[in-house]
Amino acid sequence: MHDNFKDKLYVFFRHRIPLLATLILMFLFYVPIYSLELNYFRPAVGFICVYYWTLKRSYMFSYISAFIIGFFMDIYSSTPLGINCLMMLFLVFVTEMLARYFKAASFTGNWLVFSLAGLILTLIKWLLISVYFSRFVSISEVIVNLISTIMFYPLVVYFNIWIQNNLLPQERINE
Amino acid sequence: MKHRGTLLIRLSELKVLLRRVFIFILFLCAFLFILLSHVDSVVIDAANRVVMNVTGPVMQVVELPSRLIHRVYTYFYDISHIYADNRALRLENKQMLMLQNKVRTLEVENQLLERLLNYVPPEDATFMSAKIIAESGDSFTHTLLIYIGHEAVRKGQVVLGNESVIGRVDKVSGRYAKVILVTDINSKIPVVVERTRVRGILSGNNTAMPQLLFTRSTSDIQEGDIIVTSGVGGMFPSGLPVGFVNSIKNGVIEVETMADISRVEYVRIVDYGLSEQSDELNDLLENDINAR
Repeated sequence: MHDNFKDKLYVFFRHRIPLLATLILMFLFYVPIYSLELNYFRPAVGFICVYYWTLKRSYMFSYISAFIIGFFMDIYSSTPLGINCLMMLFLVFVTEMLARYFKAASFTGNWLVFSLAGLILTLIKWLLISVYFSRFVSISEVIVNLISTIMFYPLVVYFNIWIQNNLLPQERINE
Repeated sequence: MKHRGTLLIRLSELKVLLRRVFIFILFLCAFLFILLSHVDSVVIDAANRVVMNVTGPVMQVVELPSRLIHRVYTYFYDISHIYADNRALRLENKQMLMLQNKVRTLEVENQLLERLLNYVPPEDATFMSAKIIAESGDSFTHTLLIYIGHEAVRKGQVVLGNESVIGRVDKVSGRYAKVILVTDINSKIPVVVERTRVRGILSGNNTAMPQLLFTRSTSDIQEGDIIVTSGVGGMFPSGLPVGFVNSIKNGVIEVETMADISRVEYVRIVDYGLSEQSDELNDLLENDINAR
């Protein structure tokens, strides 16, 4: 009975590794870079991680994990609270739907799907924020930010693969 | 046996249904948050406070290497510009010495006039310095997270970087505060063109160049004109430098901030006692209305 509880607790914490890894990576990317121009090139790592873990380890990365990441993003980036939560939930929803077609796709295929999903969700976010502030937010910076996120995709994904191989090697492969 | 099988199927169906309901609730929560953040909700403030207090110390540790790299870069950058800087400073020093004499004369004149008018000068402002520990992570906002320790900082206080306005305190959460920069879309500061006294609103647009809006006309404004706070609305004291006019194109006036926000490591939070004054003013007005 005691061992059973311990095992359950162990599994519970193991399943929180993707969420923790994402949060750590996000904090690293919030570090001041002392440049207003370079700030636009700061990738949305939360976006990449949510997509990756939903696609590769959906049983470890639930809607609640995505909601928590969105919540932290909202607090740190000062966007209206709830916008990033909503975007992350949408991303999980879309990725889960697409997973049945793209689960076995190559790295490039996944990258391409992410780019498309990222573009659509960024435009929705831009529209939502513009409606919220009752004026259009400058689109050029948003596009630069999206391009930077797409360019950083391989780097962030390799970090996640490293986590997956080193910290979750014996987990069931969801591919 | 068959009965048990049906029960298991029912249970799994119920599980799927519960999961869907839970996902729906999460979506609903996100929408609710958006609606709540439109008003200054206590719940949102509490959430902010908890997250910032929990993650603040982590950010302080994480930003150390970045600060070190920035310092090394600044050191070499300054060394490479030392000759040009020295020449500029010598020239500036000459101009300052000339101005100093002028200021002394004006100060004496001012004191005499104050005595004549029985003028009561306002109290001196107090200030504190704070370290920047995080920046906003996307292109939708321009904010900073600063460490204030146990100092009493209030929402709305002016934030200066290199003696000019760079923003205002938006949220205070324990030992941390969030600063909205003048370039942020939420930032709107009543300003005046120093040379012509044309009033306007400096409005952030999430780019490096905020715009000067609601001016009478653009003909009284030239490129290079200095923009200072007008003090209208009581949020900011008047006369604080904010930036200068960078360009005027098709009636759009773009302003460059005086402080290089990119290179600011520490900020100064200045308390001019304006919020207390406006509280007192509000109390007086309320009493007056009640008396009537």
